[in-house]
Amino acid sequence: MPRFHPLQVTEVRRDTRDAVVVTLQPSKDDRAAFAFTQGQYLTFRRMFDGEELRRSYSICTGLDEGVLKVGIKRVDGGWFSTWANKELGPGDTLEAMPPMGAFFTPLEPEKAKHYLGFAGGSGITPILSLIKTTLAREPKSQFTLVYANRHVSSIMFREELEDLKNLYLQRFAMLHVLESEAQDIDLFTGRLDAQKCAALFRGWIDVKSADAAFICGPEPMMLAVAAALREHGVRDDQIKFELFASSQPRRARRRAASAERSDRHATCEATVTLDGVTRSFTFPKHGQSLLEAAIENRMDAPFACKAGVCSTCRAKLLEGEVEMETNHALEDYEVRQGYVLTCQSHPLSDRIAVSYDE
Amino acid sequence: MSDTMPIEEYLAEGGVLTSPDNAPPRYRAELLRLMASFVDSELAGSAGFADIINDAPGISERISAARIVMEKADHAQQVLKVMGTFGADTARYAAHHPWSARLARDTDIGAERRGGDMRLSVLHYPLQGWTDAVAMNALMGKAVVIQVKELAHVSYQPLAEIFRTILPREAQHADLGVEGLKRIVETEEGRRTARQAIAYWQPRVAASFGRAGSSRYEMLARLGLRHRPNEALLSEWQAAADTDLSALNLN
Repeated sequence: MPRFHPLQVTEVRRDTRDAVVVTLQPSKDDRAAFAFTQGQYLTFRRMFDGEELRRSYSICTGLDEGVLKVGIKRVDGGWFSTWANKELGPGDTLEAMPPMGAFFTPLEPEKAKHYLGFAGGSGITPILSLIKTTLAREPKSQFTLVYANRHVSSIMFREELEDLKNLYLQRFAMLHVLESEAQDIDLFTGRLDAQKCAALFRGWIDVKSADAAFICGPEPMMLAVAAALREHGVRDDQIKFELFASSQPRRARRRAASAERSDRHATCEATVTLDGVTRSFTFPKHGQSLLEAAIENRMDAPFACKAGVCSTCRAKLLEGEVEMETNHALEDYEVRQGYVLTCQSHPLSDRIAVSYDE
Repeated sequence: MSDTMPIEEYLAEGGVLTSPDNAPPRYRAELLRLMASFVDSELAGSAGFADIINDAPGISERISAARIVMEKADHAQQVLKVMGTFGADTARYAAHHPWSARLARDTDIGAERRGGDMRLSVLHYPLQGWTDAVAMNALMGKAVVIQVKELAHVSYQPLAEIFRTILPREAQHADLGVEGLKRIVETEEGRRTARQAIAYWQPRVAASFGRAGSSRYEMLARLGLRHRPNEALLSEWQAAADTDLSALNLN
C-alpha cells in the first residue's frame, strides 16, 4: 500500500485570484519515490478538525524542469483548496503519496506526432505538464491546446503558456475559449460544448491528424469534447481523460454519535441504506455477518471475496457499534470515519444504522 | 466552465472516471466486483491449465499450455493492481482461494458463483486430459475474447486500458485452442474424444455469459460498466464457436 511522505513547501506563488502554484521538495531519501511521469497527480492528506481529508492535485511541471509543482485552485466550500490558497506558505510541510495516474502516453522521441489537449479551468494543470514534456522530449511532435475559461483573469498559467508558444512557435498552437468575454473571433467566445467543438474541428483543428487527445476539465465539457472527437473518427483508445473530483463531497461528514443503549439483546435491529432505499430488519449478533443478513433480507448488497481483503462490501456505520472479524482492506483513517467491511461485521449494539451509499 | 453535473449523470452519458477518488459508492462496489470476477477467473483458469502442461503430447503444445498459464496469471495481476488502488490487499487476495480446486465433473451449478469465489461458473469444472483441455480452451477462449472486448469499454479508464492491452493475448490463447483442436482431429480417435469434450463444455461455457434479461444489466449499463447485454454477447459467441467448429467438421 502506498505510504505518505513529508514534502517541504519551498514556494507558494499566486497564479490567479483563486489559484496558487505550490513548489514541493521531497527529502533526499524520498526523491526516487517522487520521480513522476508527465500528467500524474499527488494525493495529499491533512487533518481538519480532527478528521483526515485527502485531496489529489495534478503536477504542472515537465519532466525536464527538475522540480515538483502542483496547481491548486480554490473550490467554493473546499476545505483543502481554501486552506492551501489562504494559509499555506514556504517552510510548511505537506504529506503526500508518491505520484499516481496514467494521464499520459509513452514518449517516442523519434516520432512526429500530433497531440490535442482540451482543458477547462484548472484542468490545465496536468496538460501543462504534458505540453512541456512532450515538446521537449519529442522534437518532431506538435501539440494543439484548446483551453476553456470563464474570463481572461481566470486563465491559469497564462504567462507560462505564452512563453511556451514563443519557444515552440511552429509546434505549439493554443486557442483560448472564453465563456463570458468577447474576443476578436466569435468562435472563441462561449462554452466549449459539442457545437463549439464541431466548429473548431471544421476549420481550426485538424482532428484527422491527431494521434492522441487529452481531456481534463468539468464533466459536461469532457463529455462534449469526447463525443465530438469520436464523431470525427478518433478511437476510444486514443482519448485520455482525467476527471477532477469536482463532484466528490467537499468534506467527509461526521460520524453520527453512537446511540447509548443497554445492548443486552442477542439480536440486533439493523437499518440499512442501499441505493437510496432504507430497510430495517433484525438479525442475530452472532453467526451471521451484516452482509449475509442484508442479502438474506433481499437487499442487493455488493460483495466479492467475503474474506475481508477486497473491500467491495464497504459501508459506513452511522449508528451503533460493530466488530470486524478481520480487516485487510480498510485503512485506519477509513475506519475512523466509520467505514466497515460488512462481510466481516457483527453487531455489538442492539441497534445499528449502516449506509452503502456514502 | 466550472459547471459540473452529478457523477451518476456523467456516467450514464458515457463519461469516464480516472481515479478511485472519483468513484461513487455503488460504482466502486460494482467495479471491484467486476474486477474480482475477472481476477478469480483468470487465476482459476491459469491454475486449471497448470496441471495440463504435463499432459501435452509434444514440446510446442507444452509451450502453448505453459504460456496460457503464465499469461493468464499476469492478466490477473494487472487487474489486481487496480483493485489495490481501491484498498484491496493484493498479496492476501492472490492467495485467499484455492484456485486449482474443482467440483466433480458431473455437478451442475448453472451460472452460479460459489461463496466468495467470484470465478465464472465454467471454471469450477475439472479438465480431463489434453483433448478435454484443448476443447475447453478453444470454446472458453473465444468467450473470454468477447467478454474482454466488452470490458475494454468500461468507464473506469485505468481498467479499460488494461483490458485493451490484454485482449490480443487472450485472442492468441483462443487461437492456440483452435490450432490444438486442428491437430487433435487428424485422427479418428482424436475426433471422437474432441466431440465428447465439446458436448461437455459447450453448455457450460454458454452458461458463463449469465442470464438473459439480467436485472443487474440496466444498473451496470447506467454506470458505464456494461454496454451489451448478456444475450447479445452469448449469441456472438455461439456464432463464432459454430464457425470454428464447422471449419473442423466438429458440429
